[in-house]
Amino acid sequence: MTPRPAHIVGLGLSCALGRGLQPSLKALRAGQRRTRTLELRGYSEPVRMPYYAMAGEPDDLFAIERFLALIPEAAAEALAQAGLAPDALKRCGIFVGSTAFGVSRAEGEYLEVLGRDPTAAFALPRVGFQEISERLRTACGVGGPDFTFNTACTASANALLAAQRLISLGALDHALVLGLELANRTTLTGFSGLQLVAAELKPFDAQRSGIVLGEGLGAAVLSSSPGSLGLRLAGGASNSDTFSVTTANPDGSSIAALQRTVLRLCGLQAGQVRAIKAHGTASPLNDAGEAAGLRQAFDPLPPVLALKPYLGHTLGACGIIELALLAGALEQGWMPATAGFSQADPALGLTPLLQEAPAPDGAYLLNYFGFGGSNTALVLEKAS
Amino acid sequence: MSGLRAFSHHLQAVGQAPLPPLDEAIRQACREPYRRVDRFIQLALLGAARCGAGLPLDEGCGLYLGSGIGPEGNNIVVQEQICRDHLLPRPFNFVNTLGSSATYFVAKDRGLTAQGWWACRRGATLEALLELALADLALGVCRQALVGVVEECPAPYEEHRLRCQAPAAAVMAEGSHWLLLEAQAAPGGASLALRAGEPAELLEALAQAWAAGDALAFGAQVPPLLQAGVARLVGAPPFGAGLPFHDSLAAARATAWLQEKKKGRLHLLCGGPERLMYLSIQAPA
Repeated sequence: MTPRPAHIVGLGLSCALGRGLQPSLKALRAGQRRTRTLELRGYSEPVRMPYYAMAGEPDDLFAIERFLALIPEAAAEALAQAGLAPDALKRCGIFVGSTAFGVSRAEGEYLEVLGRDPTAAFALPRVGFQEISERLRTACGVGGPDFTFNTACTASANALLAAQRLISLGALDHALVLGLELANRTTLTGFSGLQLVAAELKPFDAQRSGIVLGEGLGAAVLSSSPGSLGLRLAGGASNSDTFSVTTANPDGSSIAALQRTVLRLCGLQAGQVRAIKAHGTASPLNDAGEAAGLRQAFDPLPPVLALKPYLGHTLGACGIIELALLAGALEQGWMPATAGFSQADPALGLTPLLQEAPAPDGAYLLNYFGFGGSNTALVLEKAS
Repeated sequence: MSGLRAFSHHLQAVGQAPLPPLDEAIRQACREPYRRVDRFIQLALLGAARCGAGLPLDEGCGLYLGSGIGPEGNNIVVQEQICRDHLLPRPFNFVNTLGSSATYFVAKDRGLTAQGWWACRRGATLEALLELALADLALGVCRQALVGVVEECPAPYEEHRLRCQAPAAAVMAEGSHWLLLEAQAAPGGASLALRAGEPAELLEALAQAWAAGDALAFGAQVPPLLQAGVARLVGAPPFGAGLPFHDSLAAARATAWLQEKKKGRLHLLCGGPERLMYLSIQAPA
């Protein structure tokens, strides 16, 4: 059996940079980095942090209705570009990745009952894993099998990889992949408690001190038939790192192993990789592990860029959000510069791409790492 | 047909008394008595440790873990801490809200370093995991796949029943159901195949299986009218009809059938109303 290609035929994006892929690309090229301050009151410790809210959203990011209202937005954009026929849409698989799913809605409903009648309130009034795919079915008319991934910050990257493999095998002709992460109390208080949040996101910088959270939705339509975009998801790989439940091994060993596996599975030599989109969270340990892993697997290193300074860390949605943004830029012929970097860290031996650069045809590698020891790398191919 | 090298089955109905602790069983089955793990992770650890215990796993063995409801007990604690008590969640409680925490501990316990995925489909998680694992075996991504479905049943059970949208009369249960798959079945060994199809075609296959004396069963999302029609046609209840309820009935029925050391084949009509699937399991000769 010859594996079939998985072409990217539609992209959609709603993030801190903008609503829609083209406005987001324009803001990215202009270097826009816009955060607002989020504060949760009434806790034993202060919960106050910068946050990359989606562009154009109102002050109240915790409104219950946001979740269901926003789900179809990026998917509709991607599906409109893909232009699938009605029968193809009915068979189109649904792949969802998130860490928090509908927890914002469940929190809101629980708080509402707690405020009205505490004796009637019970926590977690709904389980949200399936809500996103159900909403996509009703709002967008997508009708194929659904798969929901909860592998922390690799969730939508793994959703992309699973969709690519099922198309490659011939089990599906088309797949809609969606990553979603919206502001919620669990994520904000959880990361606050872990003390991983910084004032500014500075990947690979000597002064980096942690992540800044963000929200957004990204969508891609993959197809066994080419569309108008000259982009293909060539494949990827995933591995498990049991060094720690919250970080990859900082010696870089598991990340280097992942790079080698993805190159082997995609039939690539290290020298053929045009550039690497780093996970680049700006947390001291993550960047140390990623830099060490990249240096072990690539000599010389191709250009390395990081997108989180423009988007925030969108957790389970970053797999598709960062792929959509990079793919959109590559399709226009450019690679984005990395913002937030001013001082090299001699311990890392890695300086990211600091100026926008032309994007030649070829293979681009995208890295994602998450809690639970989940590491995933994808290969995106650009052809004119 | 893919090879079915090993399985494990844990299904515990709940009653008035609390479920028994799992700590001692974990100590006996696992490499170490892990700290800061909740019952969901314990169920995952226990099921994975008992599936092919003593068998060396392939270096590239993939891990596919899922749950229709997820780590519910821990997530309740976290939401109460945040919304009711106005406390920051404890770090390990927060990290364990993610399904991938269970994947981490299973990978650590079984020495797995290859792909570790957590995926689900409400009422049909086994089917979703098998689709992913069988694709990876077919593509050569891995040569072995450890597939597990875990469903927790935290008290109070009536609240859990509402979250699960379980039938009012159903006896609720927790479960941990695991299969160790290989790309090719060994001669005389157990095997497994899964396919999607049109309802008429799958029902025809089911009728032929029944005529050949094989066992039939249903997944949770198969429309009740269809289940009743098939049961009427064959004049006997399907296998596992009396098992207690959790969100992954196909998984519970598949591993319960293997546990009972049945001969022949089990044919499971599963998937959901949008797309029916047909899972057949061949017992070892």
